Amino acid sequence: MRAYLAFFKKELLEYSRSGKLILFGILFVLFGIMNPAIAKLTPWLMETMAAELAQSGMSVTAIEPDAMASWVQFFKNIPMALIVFVLVMSNIFTKEYASGTLILMLTKGVARYKVCLAKASALLLLWTMGYAVCFAVTYVYTDYFWDQSILHHLVPTVLHWYLFGVFCICLVLLFSTIVNTQTTVLLFTGATVLTSYLAGMLPKIKHLMPTALMNSAALLVGKETPQDYLPAIILTLTLSCAALIAAIPLFNKKAL
Amino acid sequence: MNILSIQGLQKRFGEKSVLRGVDLEVPQGSIFGFIGKNGAGKTTTMKTVLGLLRADAGEILVNGQPVQYGQTSTNRAIGYLPDVPEFYPFMTPREYLALCGESLGMPRASIKERSEELLTLVGLAEEKHRIRGFSRGMKQRLCIAQALLGNPLLLICDEPTSALDPVGRKEILDILLSVRTQTTVLFSTHILSDVERICTDVAFLNDGKIAMQGTVASLKVLHPTQDIQVELHNPEDATRLLAAFPAATRTDQATLTLHGDEQLMHTLLSFVTQQQLSVTRIERLEPTLESLFMEVVS
Repeated sequence: MRAYLAFFKKELLEYSRSGKLILFGILFVLFGIMNPAIAKLTPWLMETMAAELAQSGMSVTAIEPDAMASWVQFFKNIPMALIVFVLVMSNIFTKEYASGTLILMLTKGVARYKVCLAKASALLLLWTMGYAVCFAVTYVYTDYFWDQSILHHLVPTVLHWYLFGVFCICLVLLFSTIVNTQTTVLLFTGATVLTSYLAGMLPKIKHLMPTALMNSAALLVGKETPQDYLPAIILTLTLSCAALIAAIPLFNKKAL
Repeated sequence: MNILSIQGLQKRFGEKSVLRGVDLEVPQGSIFGFIGKNGAGKTTTMKTVLGLLRADAGEILVNGQPVQYGQTSTNRAIGYLPDVPEFYPFMTPREYLALCGESLGMPRASIKERSEELLTLVGLAEEKHRIRGFSRGMKQRLCIAQALLGNPLLLICDEPTSALDPVGRKEILDILLSVRTQTTVLFSTHILSDVERICTDVAFLNDGKIAMQGTVASLKVLHPTQDIQVELHNPEDATRLLAAFPAATRTDQATLTLHGDEQLMHTLLSFVTQQQLSVTRIERLEPTLESLFMEVVS
Protein backbone atom coordinates (compact mmCIF):
# COMPACT_ATOMS: atom_id res chain seq x y z
CA MET A 1 0.00 0.00 0.00
CA ARG A 2 2.82 2.43 0.81
CA ALA A 3 4.54 1.87 -2.50
CA TYR A 4 1.23 2.51 -4.27
CA LEU A 5 0.63 5.70 -2.29
CA ALA A 6 4.19 6.89 -2.85
CA PHE A 7 3.82 6.37 -6.56
CA PHE A 8 0.40 8.01 -6.60
CA LYS A 9 1.87 11.05 -4.84
CA LYS A 10 4.69 11.09 -7.37
CA GLU A 11 2.17 11.22 -10.22
CA LEU A 12 0.31 14.13 -8.62
CA LEU A 13 3.59 15.95 -7.97
CA GLU A 14 4.45 15.48 -11.63
CA TYR A 15 1.09 16.90 -12.74
CA SER A 16 1.61 19.91 -10.55
CA ARG A 17 5.27 20.59 -11.40
CA SER A 18 5.02 19.88 -15.10
CA GLY A 19 2.21 22.44 -15.36
CA LYS A 20 -0.43 19.90 -16.38
CA LEU A 21 -2.54 20.68 -13.33
CA ILE A 22 -2.59 24.37 -14.22
CA LEU A 23 -3.21 23.61 -17.89
CA PHE A 24 -6.26 21.48 -17.14
CA GLY A 25 -7.38 23.83 -14.39
CA ILE A 26 -7.49 26.70 -16.88
CA LEU A 27 -8.91 24.54 -19.66
CA PHE A 28 -11.82 23.15 -17.68
CA VAL A 29 -12.68 26.45 -16.01
CA LEU A 30 -12.50 28.20 -19.36
CA PHE A 31 -14.75 25.66 -21.03
CA GLY A 32 -17.07 25.92 -18.05
CA ILE A 33 -17.37 29.68 -18.47
CA MET A 34 -17.56 29.54 -22.26
CA ASN A 35 -20.71 27.41 -22.29
CA PRO A 36 -23.13 29.92 -20.75
CA ALA A 37 -21.12 32.79 -22.23
CA ILE A 38 -21.55 31.56 -25.78
CA ALA A 39 -25.22 30.88 -25.16
CA LYS A 40 -25.60 34.40 -23.79
CA LEU A 41 -23.62 36.05 -26.59
CA THR A 42 -25.03 34.19 -29.59
CA PRO A 43 -28.13 36.41 -30.00
CA TRP A 44 -26.00 39.52 -29.77
CA LEU A 45 -23.53 38.08 -32.33
CA MET A 46 -26.40 37.22 -34.62
CA GLU A 47 -27.78 40.70 -34.29
CA THR A 48 -24.51 42.36 -35.22
CA MET A 49 -24.18 40.08 -38.19
CA ALA A 50 -27.83 40.36 -39.21
CA ALA A 51 -27.25 43.08 -41.78
CA GLU A 52 -24.47 41.11 -43.45
CA LEU A 53 -26.49 37.91 -43.43
CA ALA A 54 -29.50 39.73 -44.85
CA GLN A 55 -27.40 40.77 -47.82
CA SER A 56 -26.61 37.16 -48.56
CA GLY A 57 -30.27 36.33 -48.35
CA MET A 58 -30.54 35.00 -44.83
CA SER A 59 -32.94 36.54 -42.42
CA VAL A 60 -32.26 36.39 -38.74
CA THR A 61 -35.08 36.23 -36.28
CA ALA A 62 -34.57 36.98 -32.63
CA ILE A 63 -33.27 34.04 -30.60
CA GLU A 64 -33.97 33.88 -26.92
CA PRO A 65 -31.08 32.05 -25.18
CA ASP A 66 -32.00 29.62 -22.42
CA ALA A 67 -30.49 26.99 -20.16
CA MET A 68 -30.75 24.42 -22.93
CA ALA A 69 -28.46 26.49 -25.18
CA SER A 70 -25.87 26.65 -22.42
CA TRP A 71 -25.91 22.89 -21.83
CA VAL A 72 -25.85 22.15 -25.55
CA GLN A 73 -22.62 24.16 -25.60
CA PHE A 74 -21.34 22.12 -22.65
CA PHE A 75 -21.81 18.89 -24.55
CA LYS A 76 -20.17 20.44 -27.61
CA ASN A 77 -17.12 21.51 -25.62
CA ILE A 78 -16.60 18.42 -23.50
CA PRO A 79 -15.44 16.28 -26.46
CA MET A 80 -12.81 18.92 -27.17
CA ALA A 81 -11.68 18.87 -23.53
CA LEU A 82 -11.56 15.08 -23.57
CA ILE A 83 -9.48 15.07 -26.76
CA VAL A 84 -7.00 17.54 -25.25
CA PHE A 85 -6.91 15.49 -22.05
CA VAL A 86 -6.18 12.24 -23.90
CA LEU A 87 -3.62 13.90 -26.19
CA VAL A 88 -1.70 15.42 -23.29
CA MET A 89 -1.95 12.47 -20.90
CA SER A 90 -1.47 9.57 -23.30
CA ASN A 91 2.28 9.56 -22.68
CA ILE A 92 1.81 8.69 -19.02
CA PHE A 93 3.55 5.34 -19.54
CA THR A 94 5.37 5.80 -22.83
CA LYS A 95 7.37 8.77 -21.51
CA GLU A 96 8.71 6.55 -18.75
CA TYR A 97 9.50 3.75 -21.19
CA ALA A 98 11.46 6.15 -23.40
CA SER A 99 13.44 7.78 -20.59
CA GLY A 100 13.97 4.61 -18.57
CA THR A 101 12.80 6.23 -15.31
CA LEU A 102 10.65 3.22 -14.42
CA ILE A 103 13.64 0.87 -14.40
CA LEU A 104 15.06 2.29 -11.19
CA MET A 105 11.66 2.11 -9.50
CA LEU A 106 11.00 -1.47 -10.57
CA THR A 107 14.48 -2.55 -9.56
CA LYS A 108 13.51 -1.38 -6.08
CA GLY A 109 11.15 -4.32 -5.99
CA VAL A 110 7.97 -2.27 -6.49
CA ALA A 111 5.29 -4.62 -7.78
CA ARG A 112 4.34 -3.57 -11.27
CA TYR A 113 0.61 -3.68 -10.65
CA LYS A 114 1.03 -0.96 -8.04
CA VAL A 115 2.67 1.30 -10.60
CA CYS A 116 -0.16 0.56 -12.99
CA LEU A 117 -2.87 1.25 -10.41
CA ALA A 118 -1.18 4.41 -9.15
CA LYS A 119 -1.06 5.82 -12.65
CA ALA A 120 -4.65 4.81 -13.36
CA SER A 121 -5.99 6.38 -10.18
CA ALA A 122 -4.02 9.61 -10.65
CA LEU A 123 -5.29 9.93 -14.21
CA LEU A 124 -8.89 9.20 -13.24
CA LEU A 125 -8.67 11.64 -10.35
CA LEU A 126 -7.46 14.40 -12.68
CA TRP A 127 -10.29 13.70 -15.15
CA THR A 128 -12.87 13.58 -12.36
CA MET A 129 -11.71 16.87 -10.85
CA GLY A 130 -11.48 18.63 -14.20
CA TYR A 131 -14.89 17.39 -15.29
CA ALA A 132 -16.43 18.33 -11.95
CA VAL A 133 -15.00 21.84 -12.15
CA CYS A 134 -16.24 22.31 -15.71
CA PHE A 135 -19.69 21.06 -14.72
CA ALA A 136 -19.85 23.20 -11.58
CA VAL A 137 -18.87 26.40 -13.38
CA THR A 138 -21.38 25.82 -16.18
CA TYR A 139 -24.08 24.90 -13.68
CA VAL A 140 -23.59 27.95 -11.48
CA TYR A 141 -23.55 30.44 -14.37
CA THR A 142 -26.45 28.80 -16.18
CA ASP A 143 -28.44 28.79 -13.00
CA TYR A 144 -27.69 32.47 -12.50
CA PHE A 145 -28.84 33.47 -15.98
CA TRP A 146 -31.71 31.12 -16.75
CA ASP A 147 -34.29 28.77 -15.41
CA GLN A 148 -32.89 25.23 -15.52
CA SER A 149 -36.19 23.50 -14.86
CA ILE A 150 -36.74 23.13 -18.62
CA LEU A 151 -33.97 20.51 -18.70
CA HIS A 152 -34.68 16.82 -18.45
CA HIS A 153 -32.23 14.35 -16.91
CA LEU A 154 -29.28 16.76 -16.67
CA VAL A 155 -27.35 14.72 -14.12
CA PRO A 156 -27.55 11.37 -16.00
CA THR A 157 -26.55 13.10 -19.24
CA VAL A 158 -23.55 14.69 -17.56
CA LEU A 159 -22.57 11.37 -15.98
CA HIS A 160 -22.76 9.63 -19.37
CA TRP A 161 -20.09 11.89 -20.77
CA TYR A 162 -18.01 11.47 -17.65
CA LEU A 163 -18.22 7.71 -18.02
CA PHE A 164 -17.25 7.96 -21.67
CA GLY A 165 -14.14 9.89 -20.57
CA VAL A 166 -13.32 7.16 -18.06
CA PHE A 167 -13.67 4.59 -20.86
CA CYS A 168 -11.20 6.51 -23.06
CA ILE A 169 -8.73 6.80 -20.16
CA CYS A 170 -8.90 3.06 -19.49
CA LEU A 171 -8.20 2.47 -23.17
CA VAL A 172 -5.14 4.73 -22.97
CA LEU A 173 -3.93 2.75 -19.95
CA LEU A 174 -4.52 -0.59 -21.65
CA PHE A 175 -2.76 0.32 -24.88
CA SER A 176 0.10 1.93 -22.94
CA THR A 177 0.93 -1.48 -21.50
CA ILE A 178 0.95 -3.06 -24.96
CA VAL A 179 2.77 -0.60 -27.21
CA ASN A 180 5.77 1.63 -26.62
CA THR A 181 5.06 5.01 -28.18
CA GLN A 182 2.53 7.73 -27.53
CA THR A 183 1.52 7.86 -31.19
CA THR A 184 0.57 4.19 -31.22
CA VAL A 185 -1.32 4.55 -27.95
CA LEU A 186 -3.34 7.40 -29.48
CA LEU A 187 -3.83 5.49 -32.70
CA PHE A 188 -5.21 2.40 -30.95
CA THR A 189 -7.40 4.46 -28.60
CA GLY A 190 -8.77 6.46 -31.53
CA ALA A 191 -9.34 3.29 -33.55
CA THR A 192 -11.29 1.67 -30.71
CA VAL A 193 -13.52 4.72 -30.26
CA LEU A 194 -14.04 4.86 -34.04
CA THR A 195 -14.96 1.17 -34.13
CA SER A 196 -17.53 1.76 -31.40
CA TYR A 197 -18.85 4.76 -33.33
CA LEU A 198 -19.14 2.83 -36.60
CA ALA A 199 -20.75 -0.15 -34.85
CA GLY A 200 -23.19 2.35 -33.37
CA MET A 201 -24.52 2.95 -36.88
CA LEU A 202 -26.02 -0.51 -36.93
CA PRO A 203 -29.51 -0.08 -35.51
CA LYS A 204 -29.46 -3.44 -33.73
CA ILE A 205 -26.50 -2.69 -31.44
CA LYS A 206 -26.71 1.10 -31.50
CA HIS A 207 -27.96 1.36 -27.94
CA LEU A 208 -25.16 -0.93 -26.66
CA MET A 209 -22.09 0.94 -27.80
CA PRO A 210 -20.08 3.20 -25.46
CA THR A 211 -20.33 5.93 -28.06
CA ALA A 212 -24.10 5.95 -27.49
CA LEU A 213 -23.27 7.80 -24.28
CA MET A 214 -22.18 10.74 -26.43
CA ASN A 215 -25.78 11.45 -27.52
CA SER A 216 -26.94 14.04 -25.06
CA ALA A 217 -29.63 15.93 -26.89
CA ALA A 218 -32.42 13.35 -26.83
CA LEU A 219 -32.05 12.82 -23.10
CA LEU A 220 -31.87 16.53 -22.27
CA VAL A 221 -35.10 17.39 -24.06
CA GLY A 222 -36.81 14.41 -22.52
CA LYS A 223 -37.30 12.36 -25.69
CA GLU A 224 -35.50 9.44 -24.06
CA THR A 225 -35.15 8.22 -20.51
CA PRO A 226 -31.99 7.24 -18.62
CA GLN A 227 -33.18 3.61 -18.70
CA ASP A 228 -32.67 3.59 -22.46
CA TYR A 229 -28.95 4.03 -21.84
CA LEU A 230 -28.58 1.26 -19.31
CA PRO A 231 -27.12 -1.29 -21.78
CA ALA A 232 -24.53 1.19 -23.01
CA ILE A 233 -23.61 2.11 -19.43
CA ILE A 234 -23.21 -1.52 -18.43
CA LEU A 235 -21.09 -2.34 -21.47
CA THR A 236 -18.92 0.76 -21.04
CA LEU A 237 -18.33 0.02 -17.37
CA THR A 238 -17.53 -3.62 -18.16
CA LEU A 239 -15.13 -2.69 -20.94
CA SER A 240 -13.40 -0.06 -18.79
CA CYS A 241 -12.90 -2.50 -15.93
CA ALA A 242 -11.78 -5.21 -18.34
CA ALA A 243 -9.24 -2.82 -19.90
CA LEU A 244 -7.84 -1.99 -16.46
CA ILE A 245 -7.73 -5.60 -15.34
CA ALA A 246 -6.08 -6.71 -18.59
CA ALA A 247 -3.51 -3.93 -18.32
CA ILE A 248 -2.01 -5.43 -15.15
CA PRO A 249 -0.84 -8.84 -16.46
CA LEU A 250 0.19 -7.20 -19.74
CA PHE A 251 2.33 -4.69 -17.88
CA ASN A 252 3.77 -7.47 -15.73
CA LYS A 253 5.06 -9.21 -18.85
CA LYS A 254 6.30 -6.10 -20.58
CA ALA A 255 10.02 -5.99 -21.35
CA LEU A 256 11.46 -2.65 -20.27
CA MET B 1 28.61 -17.85 0.71
CA ASN B 2 27.70 -16.52 -2.72
CA ILE B 3 25.36 -13.56 -2.84
CA LEU B 4 24.72 -14.10 -6.54
CA SER B 5 24.90 -17.36 -8.38
CA ILE B 6 24.18 -17.81 -12.07
CA GLN B 7 23.99 -21.25 -13.70
CA GLY B 8 23.86 -21.86 -17.44
CA LEU B 9 22.26 -18.54 -18.32
CA GLN B 10 21.26 -18.25 -21.97
CA LYS B 11 19.68 -15.37 -23.81
CA ARG B 12 19.16 -14.69 -27.47
CA PHE B 13 17.73 -11.67 -29.25
CA GLY B 14 16.22 -12.90 -32.49
CA GLU B 15 18.95 -14.67 -34.39
CA LYS B 16 21.71 -13.36 -32.18
CA SER B 17 22.75 -15.51 -29.26
CA VAL B 18 24.17 -13.11 -26.68
CA LEU B 19 24.62 -15.34 -23.63
CA ARG B 20 25.52 -18.96 -24.23
CA GLY B 21 25.64 -20.56 -20.83
CA VAL B 22 27.01 -18.05 -18.34
CA ASP B 23 28.09 -19.49 -14.97
CA LEU B 24 29.01 -16.91 -12.40
CA GLU B 25 29.51 -16.95 -8.63
CA VAL B 26 29.82 -13.67 -6.77
CA PRO B 27 31.14 -14.16 -3.22
CA GLN B 28 29.73 -12.03 -0.41
CA GLY B 29 31.84 -9.05 0.52
CA SER B 30 33.74 -8.86 -2.75
CA ILE B 31 34.07 -6.04 -5.22
CA PHE B 32 33.49 -8.07 -8.33
CA GLY B 33 34.71 -6.75 -11.69
CA PHE B 34 32.61 -8.06 -14.57
CA ILE B 35 34.76 -7.48 -17.61
CA GLY B 36 33.98 -7.80 -21.28
CA LYS B 37 34.15 -6.00 -24.58
CA ASN B 38 31.38 -3.63 -25.64
CA GLY B 39 28.46 -5.80 -26.67
CA ALA B 40 29.77 -8.87 -24.85
CA GLY B 41 26.49 -9.22 -22.93
CA LYS B 42 27.34 -7.60 -19.61
CA THR B 43 24.21 -5.43 -19.52
CA THR B 44 22.05 -8.34 -20.70
CA THR B 45 23.37 -10.49 -17.85
CA MET B 46 22.70 -7.75 -15.30
CA LYS B 47 19.22 -6.96 -16.59
CA THR B 48 18.34 -10.64 -16.41
CA VAL B 49 19.54 -10.75 -12.81
CA LEU B 50 17.24 -7.78 -12.14
CA GLY B 51 14.25 -9.57 -13.68
CA LEU B 52 13.98 -6.98 -16.45
CA LEU B 53 14.74 -9.49 -19.20
CA ARG B 54 13.46 -13.01 -19.56
CA ALA B 55 16.18 -15.69 -19.55
CA ASP B 56 15.89 -18.35 -22.28
CA ALA B 57 17.54 -20.92 -20.03
CA GLY B 58 19.45 -21.12 -16.78
CA GLU B 59 18.92 -20.24 -13.16
CA ILE B 60 19.78 -17.15 -11.18
CA LEU B 61 19.83 -17.05 -7.39
CA VAL B 62 20.09 -13.80 -5.48
CA ASN B 63 20.88 -14.47 -1.84
CA GLY B 64 19.51 -17.98 -2.35
CA GLN B 65 16.20 -16.80 -3.88
CA PRO B 66 15.43 -17.57 -7.54
CA VAL B 67 14.90 -14.58 -9.83
CA GLN B 68 11.60 -14.50 -11.71
CA TYR B 69 11.08 -12.32 -14.76
CA GLY B 70 8.68 -9.42 -14.18
CA GLN B 71 8.18 -10.19 -10.48
CA THR B 72 11.04 -8.37 -8.91
CA SER B 73 10.86 -9.30 -5.24
CA THR B 74 14.50 -10.46 -5.28
CA ASN B 75 15.36 -6.89 -6.18
CA ARG B 76 14.80 -5.86 -2.58
CA ALA B 77 18.23 -7.34 -1.88
CA ILE B 78 19.76 -5.47 -4.81
CA GLY B 79 20.76 -1.89 -5.45
CA TYR B 80 21.08 -1.09 -9.13
CA LEU B 81 23.08 1.54 -10.98
CA PRO B 82 22.33 1.62 -14.70
CA ASP B 83 24.98 3.00 -17.07
CA VAL B 84 22.96 6.15 -17.79
CA PRO B 85 20.56 6.63 -14.87
CA GLU B 86 17.34 8.55 -15.48
CA PHE B 87 15.40 10.17 -12.68
CA TYR B 88 12.16 12.13 -12.47
CA PRO B 89 13.54 15.55 -13.37
CA PHE B 90 10.85 17.45 -11.46
CA MET B 91 12.01 16.09 -8.10
CA THR B 92 14.80 17.12 -5.77
CA PRO B 93 17.31 14.46 -4.66
CA ARG B 94 15.65 14.24 -1.24
CA GLU B 95 12.18 13.81 -2.73
CA TYR B 96 13.51 11.13 -5.06
CA LEU B 97 15.16 9.22 -2.24
CA ALA B 98 11.93 9.51 -0.24
CA LEU B 99 10.02 7.96 -3.16
CA CYS B 100 12.60 5.16 -3.35
CA GLY B 101 12.44 4.59 0.40
CA GLU B 102 8.64 4.41 0.39
CA SER B 103 8.82 2.00 -2.55
CA LEU B 104 11.15 -0.17 -0.53
CA GLY B 105 8.77 0.00 2.42
CA MET B 106 11.31 1.63 4.75
CA PRO B 107 10.06 3.40 7.89
CA ARG B 108 9.77 7.16 7.45
CA ALA B 109 12.37 8.06 10.05
CA SER B 110 14.99 5.76 8.63
CA ILE B 111 14.36 7.07 5.09
CA LYS B 112 15.19 10.56 6.31
CA GLU B 113 18.22 9.47 8.28
CA ARG B 114 19.61 7.23 5.57
CA SER B 115 18.98 9.85 2.85
CA GLU B 116 21.03 12.43 4.70
CA GLU B 117 23.79 9.92 5.35
CA LEU B 118 23.96 8.86 1.70
CA LEU B 119 23.65 12.34 0.22
CA THR B 120 26.61 13.32 2.38
CA LEU B 121 28.51 10.23 1.22
CA VAL B 122 27.98 11.10 -2.46
CA GLY B 123 28.50 14.82 -1.93
CA LEU B 124 24.98 16.01 -2.74
CA ALA B 125 23.91 17.01 0.77
CA GLU B 126 23.87 20.71 -0.10
CA GLU B 127 22.00 20.23 -3.36
CA LYS B 128 18.53 21.76 -3.09
CA HIS B 129 17.77 22.04 -6.81
CA ARG B 130 15.63 19.71 -8.88
CA ILE B 131 17.33 16.86 -10.74
CA ARG B 132 16.52 18.51 -14.08
CA GLY B 133 19.74 20.55 -14.01
CA PHE B 134 22.11 17.84 -12.81
CA SER B 135 25.31 16.91 -14.65
CA ARG B 136 26.00 13.32 -15.59
CA GLY B 137 28.41 12.90 -12.70
CA MET B 138 25.87 14.27 -10.22
CA LYS B 139 23.21 11.91 -11.56
CA GLN B 140 25.62 9.01 -11.26
CA ARG B 141 26.33 9.93 -7.63
CA LEU B 142 22.63 10.31 -6.85
CA CYS B 143 22.18 6.93 -8.44
CA ILE B 144 24.63 5.39 -5.99
CA ALA B 145 22.70 7.00 -3.15
CA GLN B 146 19.38 5.55 -4.35
CA ALA B 147 20.96 2.16 -4.92
CA LEU B 148 22.34 2.01 -1.37
CA LEU B 149 19.23 3.42 0.30
CA GLY B 150 17.72 0.09 1.29
CA ASN B 151 21.02 -1.34 2.56
CA PRO B 152 21.15 -3.85 -0.31
CA LEU B 153 23.18 -7.03 0.01
CA LEU B 154 24.32 -6.65 -3.57
CA LEU B 155 25.06 -3.49 -5.51
CA ILE B 156 24.95 -3.99 -9.27
CA CYS B 157 26.68 -1.26 -11.27
CA ASP B 158 26.49 -1.27 -15.04
CA GLU B 159 29.56 0.58 -16.33
CA PRO B 160 29.25 3.27 -13.69
CA THR B 161 32.35 5.14 -14.81
CA SER B 162 32.28 4.79 -18.59
CA ALA B 163 30.59 8.09 -19.33
CA LEU B 164 32.47 10.20 -16.80
CA ASP B 165 35.53 12.43 -16.88
CA PRO B 166 38.60 11.42 -14.80
CA VAL B 167 37.49 13.43 -11.77
CA GLY B 168 33.98 11.99 -11.85
CA ARG B 169 35.43 8.50 -12.29
CA LYS B 170 37.71 8.84 -9.33
CA GLU B 171 34.80 10.04 -7.17
CA ILE B 172 32.62 7.09 -8.14
CA LEU B 173 35.42 4.56 -7.57
CA ASP B 174 36.21 6.07 -4.18
CA ILE B 175 32.55 5.82 -3.19
CA LEU B 176 32.34 2.20 -4.35
CA LEU B 177 35.49 1.37 -2.43
CA SER B 178 34.11 3.03 0.70
CA VAL B 179 30.85 1.04 0.67
CA ARG B 180 32.49 -2.34 0.44
CA THR B 181 32.07 -2.97 4.15
CA GLN B 182 28.29 -2.55 3.76
CA THR B 183 27.58 -4.47 0.59
CA THR B 184 28.91 -6.71 -2.16
CA VAL B 185 29.59 -4.83 -5.38
CA LEU B 186 29.19 -6.33 -8.85
CA PHE B 187 30.51 -3.88 -11.33
CA SER B 188 30.68 -4.24 -15.09
CA THR B 189 33.22 -2.34 -17.09
CA HIS B 190 35.72 -2.42 -19.89
CA ILE B 191 37.99 0.08 -18.19
CA LEU B 192 40.66 -2.21 -16.74
CA SER B 193 42.42 0.41 -14.68
CA ASP B 194 39.21 0.89 -12.69
CA VAL B 195 39.08 -2.83 -12.00
CA GLU B 196 42.73 -2.90 -11.01
CA ARG B 197 42.09 -0.07 -8.55
CA ILE B 198 39.18 -1.47 -6.61
CA CYS B 199 38.23 -5.06 -7.47
CA THR B 200 38.98 -8.12 -5.39
CA ASP B 201 37.46 -10.61 -7.84
CA VAL B 202 36.99 -10.57 -11.57
CA ALA B 203 35.23 -12.51 -14.30
CA PHE B 204 35.84 -12.11 -18.01
CA LEU B 205 32.82 -12.47 -20.27
CA ASN B 206 33.67 -13.38 -23.83
CA ASP B 207 31.69 -14.96 -26.61
CA GLY B 208 28.64 -15.37 -24.36
CA LYS B 209 30.49 -17.34 -21.69
CA ILE B 210 32.63 -16.67 -18.65
CA ALA B 211 36.15 -17.27 -19.93
CA MET B 212 37.96 -16.83 -16.62
CA GLN B 213 36.97 -15.97 -13.07
CA GLY B 214 38.48 -15.79 -9.61
CA THR B 215 40.23 -13.41 -7.27
CA VAL B 216 42.56 -10.96 -8.95
CA ALA B 217 45.53 -12.44 -7.06
CA SER B 218 44.72 -16.07 -7.94
CA LEU B 219 44.23 -15.31 -11.62
CA LYS B 220 47.60 -13.63 -11.73
CA VAL B 221 49.23 -16.67 -10.17
CA LEU B 222 47.37 -19.12 -12.40
CA HIS B 223 48.13 -17.23 -15.56
CA PRO B 224 51.75 -16.12 -15.29
CA THR B 225 53.16 -14.18 -18.16
CA GLN B 226 56.12 -15.40 -20.20
CA ASP B 227 57.83 -12.05 -19.99
CA ILE B 228 61.18 -11.47 -18.26
CA GLN B 229 62.55 -8.01 -17.79
CA VAL B 230 66.26 -7.35 -17.28
CA GLU B 231 67.60 -4.00 -16.23
CA LEU B 232 71.34 -3.57 -16.57
CA HIS B 233 73.66 -1.14 -14.93
CA ASN B 234 74.89 0.39 -18.18
CA PRO B 235 73.74 0.57 -21.80
CA GLU B 236 76.82 -1.24 -23.18
CA ASP B 237 75.94 -4.39 -21.22
CA ALA B 238 72.42 -4.11 -22.58
CA THR B 239 73.79 -4.05 -26.11
CA ARG B 240 75.90 -7.18 -25.42
CA LEU B 241 72.91 -8.99 -23.98
CA LEU B 242 70.76 -7.97 -26.96
CA ALA B 243 73.44 -9.35 -29.32
CA ALA B 244 73.26 -12.71 -27.53
CA PHE B 245 69.45 -12.76 -27.32
CA PRO B 246 68.25 -11.13 -30.56
CA ALA B 247 64.58 -11.95 -29.81
CA ALA B 248 64.62 -9.53 -26.87
CA THR B 249 63.13 -6.07 -27.19
CA ARG B 250 64.83 -3.02 -25.80
CA THR B 251 62.40 -1.17 -23.53
CA ASP B 252 64.81 1.66 -22.86
CA GLN B 253 68.59 2.23 -22.99
CA ALA B 254 69.48 -0.28 -20.27
CA THR B 255 66.36 -2.44 -20.08
CA LEU B 256 65.42 -5.48 -22.17
CA THR B 257 62.24 -7.57 -22.22
CA LEU B 258 62.42 -11.22 -23.22
CA HIS B 259 59.66 -13.68 -23.86
CA GLY B 260 60.22 -17.25 -22.71
CA ASP B 261 59.83 -19.98 -20.08
CA GLU B 262 61.97 -21.11 -17.10
CA GLN B 263 64.63 -22.51 -19.44
CA LEU B 264 65.21 -19.08 -20.89
CA MET B 265 65.54 -17.64 -17.39
CA HIS B 266 68.30 -20.15 -16.60
CA THR B 267 70.13 -19.50 -19.86
CA LEU B 268 69.85 -15.81 -19.22
CA LEU B 269 71.20 -16.07 -15.67
CA SER B 270 74.16 -18.19 -16.71
CA PHE B 271 74.97 -15.80 -19.58
CA VAL B 272 74.91 -12.87 -17.18
CA THR B 273 77.28 -14.70 -14.79
CA GLN B 274 79.67 -15.85 -17.54
CA GLN B 275 79.89 -12.46 -19.16
CA GLN B 276 79.97 -10.75 -15.76
CA LEU B 277 77.34 -8.22 -16.79
CA SER B 278 76.32 -5.87 -14.05
CA VAL B 279 72.64 -6.30 -13.44
CA THR B 280 70.36 -3.95 -11.52
CA ARG B 281 67.26 -6.13 -11.67
CA ILE B 282 65.89 -9.30 -13.26
CA GLU B 283 62.22 -10.10 -12.84
CA ARG B 284 59.46 -12.21 -14.26
CA LEU B 285 56.71 -9.70 -15.06
CA GLU B 286 53.38 -9.98 -13.24
CA PRO B 287 50.44 -10.47 -15.54
CA THR B 288 48.28 -7.37 -15.81
CA LEU B 289 44.52 -7.46 -16.24
CA GLU B 290 45.16 -6.15 -19.70
CA SER B 291 47.32 -9.12 -20.60
CA LEU B 292 44.71 -11.48 -19.11
CA PHE B 293 41.97 -9.70 -21.03
CA MET B 294 43.92 -9.97 -24.25
CA GLU B 295 44.51 -13.66 -23.58
CA VAL B 296 40.76 -14.13 -23.11
CA VAL B 297 39.55 -12.25 -26.15
CA SER B 298 42.21 -13.39 -28.60
